[in-house]
Amino acid sequence: MSDNSVNILDIKNIEVMYDNVILALHDVSLKVPKGKVVALLGANGAGKSTTLKAVSTMLASERGKVTKGSIDYDGNSIVKQNPSQMVGLGMVQVLEGRRCFGHLTVEENIISGAYSRKLSKGDIDQELEKIYTYFLRLKERRKSQAAFTSGGEQQMIAVARAMMAKPKMLLLDEPTMGLAPQLVAEIFNIVKELNQKEGVSILLAEQNTNIALKNSDYGYIIETGKVMLEGTAQSLLNNDKVKELYLGISKKGRKNFRDVLKEESLNKKIN
Amino acid sequence: MANELLFFMEVLVGGLLAGTMYSLVALGFVLIFKASATFNFSQGAMVFFSVLAFCGFMQDFNIPFVLAFILAAFLMVVVGLCTERLVLRPLMNASEDTVLMATIGLGYVLEGLAQAAWGVEVRRLDLGIGDFPVPWIADNLKLFISALDITAGLVAAIMIIGLFLLFKYTKIGLGLRAVADDAGAASSIGIPLKHIMLLVWSAAGVVALVAGCMWGARAGVQFALVDLALKALPVLIIGGFSSIPGAIIGGLIIGAVEKILEVYIGPFFGGAIEGWAPYVLAIFFLLYRPEGLFGEKIIRRV
Repeated sequence: MSDNSVNILDIKNIEVMYDNVILALHDVSLKVPKGKVVALLGANGAGKSTTLKAVSTMLASERGKVTKGSIDYDGNSIVKQNPSQMVGLGMVQVLEGRRCFGHLTVEENIISGAYSRKLSKGDIDQELEKIYTYFLRLKERRKSQAAFTSGGEQQMIAVARAMMAKPKMLLLDEPTMGLAPQLVAEIFNIVKELNQKEGVSILLAEQNTNIALKNSDYGYIIETGKVMLEGTAQSLLNNDKVKELYLGISKKGRKNFRDVLKEESLNKKIN
Repeated sequence: MANELLFFMEVLVGGLLAGTMYSLVALGFVLIFKASATFNFSQGAMVFFSVLAFCGFMQDFNIPFVLAFILAAFLMVVVGLCTERLVLRPLMNASEDTVLMATIGLGYVLEGLAQAAWGVEVRRLDLGIGDFPVPWIADNLKLFISALDITAGLVAAIMIIGLFLLFKYTKIGLGLRAVADDAGAASSIGIPLKHIMLLVWSAAGVVALVAGCMWGARAGVQFALVDLALKALPVLIIGGFSSIPGAIIGGLIIGAVEKILEVYIGPFFGGAIEGWAPYVLAIFFLLYRPEGLFGEKIIRRV
């Protein structure tokens, strides 16, 4: 039972259905220890976003439902919560695709993250300054309309906005989608810093397996709504299957699509 | 020549001021469209409901003017509360079309309730402001402009400034703009959609009451006020569905254009083109500038 106090998030065997017919998750169990970064890896449609939305209770707005299993956050079940209550409890999701408020300025976007907290004007300014120390780039662009900022900046706005809610736990859904390699590194640096300095626990959904694992403590790989493999980030990085399927590296050297096709046609001939 | 110019000015100014009355109705639509991306078909019924209640409080219960107005405004907040609780919350995750249909139903309920409570006869609403030319302006500028029109213009100006300040500088205004941009993202950072909906519907109710007072004073408080709301449609198409300044400017344009067309082109069509000319203008806007003059454009980075 001492398990509960260590894990801020504990998902046990959940099944998720959309529209009462489409089964999106079969059987997903995962744990996020307090203060750690956990990566949730998998291809498009594997169920990463669905898992995160099940946790943040945002599934309901997409007609999804957890039909089996349990999700405990900070020792309590989240079944009866709604998204704004979850934010109140310190769990904030950064949605896939950044989702900034395009017509608001950068600063207004960030301030909107503090909506659920009762802060005075002075408190907000103070929080804002603290947030800007992590996102220096945003401070320069504070007065621009968010829609006109770059993709990387928009991702930073989304994370900064979530941090304004003073979360104990962040759910990041593909924060590096469509970003250039330098920006990917920059975003991960910030995430790592927030984790270490602010003590925020992080559950990170990513397709970018290599860099995600390098910045995480533990990893889960899911495919078609099921956890296929889990382990410490280091063990996953060294795992042959992971190397071959997700990192594109095999013992025989780099494997590409053409090699796979060749292999397949050879096998056919033999059969 | 001078006389003709003066006459044109009179038509123009009269039209512009009458247009602010359309703007007031359109404002209510914009508020709700901003927050829920839904055209609220019950806005006309809200105008009728609110002003009939206002008249009822004054005439049936002899409640003084100011108190009756406050009561009616309070009633509209209650209507907003009930709408959020009984209609919007159960439809929280439904499509926008479903909510649109629900507003049509809500309109019928409000019309029915209003008539059941206060009766069906046309009531006269006396605001103490006459719908006749102001003598001072008539004497000095030689323009015949109705005092009611001037009042409507002032009221519209006050409302737009008030709403602008509310949206720009208050926390709830920020929440509202966030919801208007991306309701999903707003809810992900803990902005409670139900509070925003409540605010917006209450504000739209109070705006409806103000618009109802202006129109009621001009045309009598009667069922026809419900259809008046349809005039807001071309206003919104021209101004843009999500813009408060757009609602005001759109109203001014419709007011001025319909009066000018009526006076100068109307005789060729046998008159009474006021009723349909705005819709023709709206069609041109739909063809060439569908987002309206001030509608929020979809911002795309290049």
